[in-house]
Amino acid sequence: MTPAITAKAITARDAGFISCHFCSTLSKVPKGTNLKKSELICPCCKSTIHSRKPNSINRTWALLIAAIILYIPANTLPIMTFTLWGDGQPDTIISGVIHLMDGGMWPLALLIFVASIFIPVLKLIILMLLMISVQTKARWKPQDRTALYRVTEFVGRWSMVDVFVIGILVSLVQFGNSANVTPGLGSLSFAAVVILTMFAARAFDPRLIWDVLETETNVDNTANTKTALSNEDDKQMVKP
Amino acid sequence: MEQSNQTSVNISQIACHDCDLLQKVPQLRVGQTANCLRCNAFLFKNQKNSVDRSLAFAITGLILYIISNMFPLLSLRALGTTQDETLISTSISLFKADMPLLSIVVLFTTVIFPATTLLGTIFILIQVKRDTFNDYTAPLFRFLRSTDTWGMLEIFMLALLVAMVKLGDVAEVIFGTSLYAFCLLILSLTMLSHSLNPHDVWSKLRRDITQ
Ligand SMILES: [Zn+2]
Ligand SMILES: [Zn+2]
Repeated sequence: MTPAITAKAITARDAGFISCHFCSTLSKVPKGTNLKKSELICPCCKSTIHSRKPNSINRTWALLIAAIILYIPANTLPIMTFTLWGDGQPDTIISGVIHLMDGGMWPLALLIFVASIFIPVLKLIILMLLMISVQTKARWKPQDRTALYRVTEFVGRWSMVDVFVIGILVSLVQFGNSANVTPGLGSLSFAAVVILTMFAARAFDPRLIWDVLETETNVDNTANTKTALSNEDDKQMVKP
Repeated sequence: MEQSNQTSVNISQIACHDCDLLQKVPQLRVGQTANCLRCNAFLFKNQKNSVDRSLAFAITGLILYIISNMFPLLSLRALGTTQDETLISTSISLFKADMPLLSIVVLFTTVIFPATTLLGTIFILIQVKRDTFNDYTAPLFRFLRSTDTWGMLEIFMLALLVAMVKLGDVAEVIFGTSLYAFCLLILSLTMLSHSLNPHDVWSKLRRDITQ
């Protein structure tokens, strides 16, 4: 992708269109429409359409902060208790990983570490950095930031693996008083963290990363630029 | 709120969902994908027999889903007794263990959303094949697209593997009858999401309103 940001990058919003979030139908905003007062309906899929996700920054922060708060009980409360002959051993996420390492199950320990600790923390940090970068109108590497956003959106759900493992253990290890597994409140908090970050990623609007660039490049108005609509660009858009 | 339907539609262009860049819709040959000029976001692709293949995977998936739910996935033998694990028993056990919320999360991600995805996709694709749509097609497809990430059977599969290894040390783990069907179900779902081309379905629905 060599032809990066051009001065005449025309967005749907610049051209007076709104792209539907679900079906990508481009609807022309009727003249004189006050977008703050009236809602537009996608003629194709009948959903409400917005040029940018409404209240994106506030909603993303709210969800992120809720996730960060719940991250504390998720890590301090036991996720499950393994009881053997009446002797209960509660495990938190971290002690679970340590026990796996002690038992020599390195690949498993690594998997749980990545899914339950590394990915959620990384996702929270990336989303916060993206939010700060958008709010401070940063111009730093928009393409990389968008790619980072796509990664968080894609990998976040894999953190649910530990929740499912707990569910499977609870339903399999049911041998009365001799051996059983009970879920702890930590697992519920952890599931909530994963779900909240998934919603946070969905509430964030990556177009905000590019919005500041457009205004600035438009003011700049550098000559010798490519528009997105030329035939030459179409060839670059197509990947074999 | 006042609602307006007086919109006209632009079908020769597409806006990137990640950066909003307006660009011309390219004519793709079979096997090609269109990506955003500016941020490289995946826009859409052109695939051979997308509808037929997706329909085949969805129907196969539905059959495998039913089989996966009929028999145990895993069994654990210890202390002279055997415990079975089925797809639904995970959420039932969590519910019995005083974790109703967690049980609902597991129920939706491993039982309900996979089922709605398979059934809904079959329904939509049959309509696409017959080229007849009704008022429910678009909202249903919208629902399917937005719940797509919440169906987490492939993650459940990984969890099964983890549980197997964890328990393999202390007790005897027996592969259930459904486990094989379940593996094939994951394969069908993966193939389905690769072959399904939402852009084509939306284009057909859009054609109905632009005419
Ligand atoms: Zn739409
Ligand atoms: Zn883009």
